[in-house]
Amino acid sequence: MSIPFIAVPLILASLMPLIGKISKRVLPDVLTSAALLGLLGYSVFAGRQTFLKGADIWKASWLGEALNITLVLDSFSVLLLLTISLIGLSVALYSIDYMEHFEAKASFYALLLVMIAGMNGLVLSNDLFTMYLFLEVAAVSSYGLIAFGLERNELEASLKYLLLSTVATAFLLLGIAIVFGLTGSLQLAAIAEAFSAVNNPAIVGFCMALFIMGFGLKAALVPFHAWLPDAHSSAPAPISAMLSGVLIKVSGIYALTRVCFTIFGTQPGLGQVLMILGIASILVGAIQALGQNDIKRMLAYSSISQIGYIILGLGVGTPLGILGAMFHLFNHAIAKGLLFLNSGALERATGTRELDRMGGLARKMPVTAGTSIIGSLSIAGVPPLNGFWSKLLIILALVQAKLYLPALIALLAGILTLWYYLIIQRRAFFGKLNETWNHVTEAPFWMSFSVLLLGTICILIGLLFPLVILGWIQPATDALTAGISQAIGLLGL
Amino acid sequence: MSDFWILNMFFVVLLFLIGLFCLLAMKNLIKLLIGIELLSKGILLALIATGFEKNTILTSQSLAISFIVVEVSVLATAMALIINLYRHTKSLDVKNISNLKG
Amino acid sequence: MHTFLLLGLVSCSILAVFSSDLLKAAISLAGASIFLAMLFFEMGATYAGVFEISVVAGLITVLFIATISLTTKEEETKHSKRLRLLFPLILIGLILIDFLFMRQYLGGLAPLAGPAETGEFGQIFWGGRTFDLVAQIAIILSGVFCVLALFRKRSGDE
Repeated sequence: MSIPFIAVPLILASLMPLIGKISKRVLPDVLTSAALLGLLGYSVFAGRQTFLKGADIWKASWLGEALNITLVLDSFSVLLLLTISLIGLSVALYSIDYMEHFEAKASFYALLLVMIAGMNGLVLSNDLFTMYLFLEVAAVSSYGLIAFGLERNELEASLKYLLLSTVATAFLLLGIAIVFGLTGSLQLAAIAEAFSAVNNPAIVGFCMALFIMGFGLKAALVPFHAWLPDAHSSAPAPISAMLSGVLIKVSGIYALTRVCFTIFGTQPGLGQVLMILGIASILVGAIQALGQNDIKRMLAYSSISQIGYIILGLGVGTPLGILGAMFHLFNHAIAKGLLFLNSGALERATGTRELDRMGGLARKMPVTAGTSIIGSLSIAGVPPLNGFWSKLLIILALVQAKLYLPALIALLAGILTLWYYLIIQRRAFFGKLNETWNHVTEAPFWMSFSVLLLGTICILIGLLFPLVILGWIQPATDALTAGISQAIGLLGL
Repeated sequence: MSDFWILNMFFVVLLFLIGLFCLLAMKNLIKLLIGIELLSKGILLALIATGFEKNTILTSQSLAISFIVVEVSVLATAMALIINLYRHTKSLDVKNISNLKG
Repeated sequence: MHTFLLLGLVSCSILAVFSSDLLKAAISLAGASIFLAMLFFEMGATYAGVFEISVVAGLITVLFIATISLTTKEEETKHSKRLRLLFPLILIGLILIDFLFMRQYLGGLAPLAGPAETGEFGQIFWGGRTFDLVAQIAIILSGVFCVLALFRKRSGDE
């Protein structure tokens, strides 16, 4: 029964304008957070069910008549549903206080809920074109959310993102049209079966290139990353957390993995292309992050770099690599969401995002500082936090596959990552307290609560990582590799 | 695939190239939207031509209709963004969206 | 006949790209939509053709004209004359790229047999692709909320 994941946010979103008229502040907040909390609980429940019973295919029926809605929920989808709900809940709680100075909170919640519904739909659907449609749902709502503050920079970033994203989806649809033309079906499993009979490597390579270009832009892989620093730094902080934490992973990495691994299997070309793009992303992201003065731009470039790690792990193709990649996906979502939310708290308190104008804020904002340290160390890969384990798995997988140069690059980039995160910590929080900031206080209750929640989860996952891996990540990997082996079996390799 | 399909795909790619050219070379924000429109026309032609070729014209029509709905939403949002940008800068020049350094 | 329609489509598109007057560009775009819809009718996609005319040649053109009236004064769009003179060469270049690309990738593609399609449009649209309809509702909602959010009345202290 996975329809609530899509139905609940959509229905609540359509009622939001009415709710907003009744009560401007309390009711939208409470309802949104309650709905997302419910979805989080339900996704944990669904996860346990899927682990025990295997993939769940649910066909809808309305009043006894079968509708043709098939929702497929396997462990990979469930991991992402959990991530979406968790970050969504934190963002909703955070927005209770952060969005106070906007009058139109109901519109904000409506767009946020539609975006979550779109992402959930993308993850649950089994049909190539339906995945595309839900990807557009999430994308259109994100255009509105990025530009929500109606300042010039936000509008510009959103427009650039819109134009680039439309080009990418045009390429994507061309690929879908060609695949439809070749195989006559749009269901993923049927396409995989039919594609094995195509023996024209040029057209297969062309389709692969189209899909990688399309989904790669949504995932901000180098060289399609140009929109990300502007969009993620200009958006309001909770939206940056949502975008960097979840949207690029769901509409980029999940879609890319599902489509390419199911249809193309592990063709050797695909793995190598992914690895090259991954390494390029790691390096470009890390190097450009070092030169930034704006905290959110630095975090945005860091996202590019970490997505590179995930794609590198997926490109290796071995079970260990995929395991590391999925674990890193989950960890990065939590840690990057945490860091973006904190950057919003900093911006709200000091009015600026420039690191060299801040200083010594740890005394005034201890919760923000503490959780920022946890998030930064997690992404930089410091034990015993969660990011350490996932990066270790990826590097181990590379070494195991005898790819020593990429492993070395990944390791060195990890050191770069640690460096620029320490720069943020030092410039913003430690050092001498800048006189201008004598009056700042800690972030309001709900903002602190949500970052504390995420920070605690970072620590818990880091300490309890075997349980997390066995319970959530391993089944997800198995679901994905099952699809790959099926494709390999059909290709007769 | 038949020659008819290849003829149609030729024009699809041509429309794509003209649309991309428009996006790259035009200096007016609304012309950029025209570029997006041309890309969308190419996609629609590709979908319907492929459906005609495989004799699954009904499914292709459903896909095409869904895509037209998406296109309307995207264009409406883009126009809302452009109108708001105009309110800020009073001009439609593309130079106005080169402010951030990306 | 089919080739004539295709050429008409491309000519209207080129007109739309190169008109200096934005209104003429919007009308050329509508003209291109009509050519595309006629192509649809010719290939048997009648529902898509009707939808295309009413939505793209109708609604989107109206949106364009509304945006143009809200945003331009008397200025025309400026683009370099050089570009305009150079365009025929660019067009020939694009056609050449297109031709080479087609020959390399798509020549000699053998299609795989797919399942035959049965039923009529209504069945397939509402019955076969029902999940798409949920997605379409979501798309319309997101577009509506975006426009509402971007055009909201701002009080003084946002």
